Amino acid sequence: MKKLLVFLLFTISLFAHPHTFIEVHPTIKVVDGAIKTIHFKWKLDEMTSTILIMELDKNADGKIDKKESAYIRDNYFIILKDYSYYTHIKVKGKLIKFPTPKKFIATIENHKICYSFSLDEKYIAKDTIFEFGDTDFYTAMILKKEFVEISGAKAKVSGVDNDFYYGYRLEIK
Amino acid sequence: MEFYSKLLQKLISIQYELNSYISTTIRSLNDENSLSTSLLILGIAFTYGLIHAAGPGHGKALVALYFTSNKSSYKKAFKMGYMIAVIHALSALIFTFGIFFILKTMFRQNFNDFSQIAMQISAVMIVAVGLYLIYEAYMGRKYKDKKMKKSKKSEIAVAFSAGVVPCPGVMTVVLFCIVLNQHLLGILSAVAMSIGMGLTISIAGILSIALNKKSGNFLSDKGYILEIFGALLILTLGLFLLFASLK
Repeated sequence: MKKLLVFLLFTISLFAHPHTFIEVHPTIKVVDGAIKTIHFKWKLDEMTSTILIMELDKNADGKIDKKESAYIRDNYFIILKDYSYYTHIKVKGKLIKFPTPKKFIATIENHKICYSFSLDEKYIAKDTIFEFGDTDFYTAMILKKEFVEISGAKAKVSGVDNDFYYGYRLEIK
Repeated sequence: MEFYSKLLQKLISIQYELNSYISTTIRSLNDENSLSTSLLILGIAFTYGLIHAAGPGHGKALVALYFTSNKSSYKKAFKMGYMIAVIHALSALIFTFGIFFILKTMFRQNFNDFSQIAMQISAVMIVAVGLYLIYEAYMGRKYKDKKMKKSKKSEIAVAFSAGVVPCPGVMTVVLFCIVLNQHLLGILSAVAMSIGMGLTISIAGILSIALNKKSGNFLSDKGYILEIFGALLILTLGLFLLFASLK
């Protein structure tokens, strides 16, 4: 029994531990209780960014131009669809499919690669919850209260444990 | 599991802070502050390794299982942790420098694939170690006096399979240093991080010995049954990881 306990204790989440950290900076505009615009900016950690820049900034000018940004979108960003973009949207407590991100653009700011994108969907603010986390646990999504920019409502940030991933929850009140 | 998951989340946020601190500090390194800043970075790298290995994975299960099924001393568990640290530091450096200088720009594209393959390799190795330990426990059931010698060999096998596949976290730090032309610092950081990780793994081993001691010696004559049981668990763990990494 004891051995079983030890076995379970040490293997529950397998090889899972984060190697890439992504700061999530949401900008949300709420009008009359409805979310009018949602914009996300992801800031990748400096180490991952440095390694990515080495490969992605093909002309090595320290900037990501249009062509390079499109390459990142097609080869690095779109594939995250399989992971629901590490963002899980719940409407009235029910998980919904992540909509196709619009207006993707990649930039470099302070040695960090940033992904910016918007969602077109109009959600009812009080029914909607955003949760950020990688079910595979390879990437850690980081959300702090000060990362959220919101107008027309208040945001609440808390930690969340969904059995198979740990992350952050964003509620709009 | 509430407490466990809270702890994990805390560990992640500490790693996030340390990770960004290390990168900013390495970037700020210049001729004037190089020694004190380098020492600071190494100290942080050590802590980073310590905490990083406290998360799931990193051979703790392997080491814990090995020590729950084999009679051993705390000293041995400690030694095991450091054997793993040394093997791990070497393999992380060889892999990172090797891949970086051979493939250069292709590195990143292959980096994620590589992590996946590395995981599969390590799972296969754990399966192999499990099989080896079963074989050894079975063959050695009558020869108690030979125990010391054989135990040393199986310890090396366990340490090797736990340490040989480099952690992408350490590789990232090394690669970051290489890109910023801080090769020596990259090497030392890998060593510091591996030592930190080794310490955490040692503690996992020590804890499982402590648990084992409590469970008494009633099986002392038939100790090999316990060993085979432990080896079977290691085998199961390996298969489990293999299937998880193939998915």
